[in-house]
Amino acid sequence: MPERIVTIASAQGLHARPAKIFVEAAARQPVAVSIGAGDRAPVPATSMLSVLALGAAQGTQVILRAEGDQADAALDELADLLSQDLDAEAEPDHV
Amino acid sequence: MSEPAAALLHPRAVRLDAVAADRDDAVRQCGWLLAEVGAVTSAYTDSMLERERSISTYLGEGVAIPHGTASGKNAVRRDALAVLRFPDEVDWDGHPVTLAIAIAARGDGHMAILAELAQILLDPDRARGLREATTADEIIRLLQPAEDPEPEKEPEEEGSAL
Repeated sequence: MPERIVTIASAQGLHARPAKIFVEAAARQPVAVSIGAGDRAPVPATSMLSVLALGAAQGTQVILRAEGDQADAALDELADLLSQDLDAEAEPDHV
Repeated sequence: MSEPAAALLHPRAVRLDAVAADRDDAVRQCGWLLAEVGAVTSAYTDSMLERERSISTYLGEGVAIPHGTASGKNAVRRDALAVLRFPDEVDWDGHPVTLAIAIAARGDGHMAILAELAQILLDPDRARGLREATTADEIIRLLQPAEDPEPEKEPEEEGSAL
């Protein structure tokens, strides 16, 4: 099964805004994608609660998996998202 | 951080019969309650509202988890939770919310709390129990971690930080 191992780049980890962006992107994919971290069982990447329950902080390695014709493209897109700091644009002011 | 969510929730920080006109009203009540138990200064409320405008903290299962932005951390005196139950529901960006679990955390503490809450809510029985709880003790009990029943330590008494 195609898979990608990605390190969470967002400063605040995979929660709040980064989690929402990721879950919404996963929902747009034509194939079902799972995400796993550590020794926990992989969970559907489209479930906000499940993704948050992973508690993936910045620097955590996660595994994305998908099957089917368009699995590779879907995994590339989602892996690319996770390797960006999705929090970066969340703070509009120079604080 | 290793404190379980339940240890961060003082019984005085639980309101079972709250009524809010809208989401912002609910968030203000959350901030007020956190301030009331000495966990945050009043500036934290603005930070929570700012977070809510940037991204909804609706979590699922009728539960929202209002918390401040990164820049609101200065307003946090100590890590704590507050729980407000809205029996008549609040419209939270299109989702009916019965329970708001407000989080005050310095550092990256709220990431761990969030993960713990998400795990609790993934259990439909516990999620329903939280929505339907009628006492503060019941809510605190439902926020205990499912496994590892050994009590590590007594929750610290507050009030010495003045």
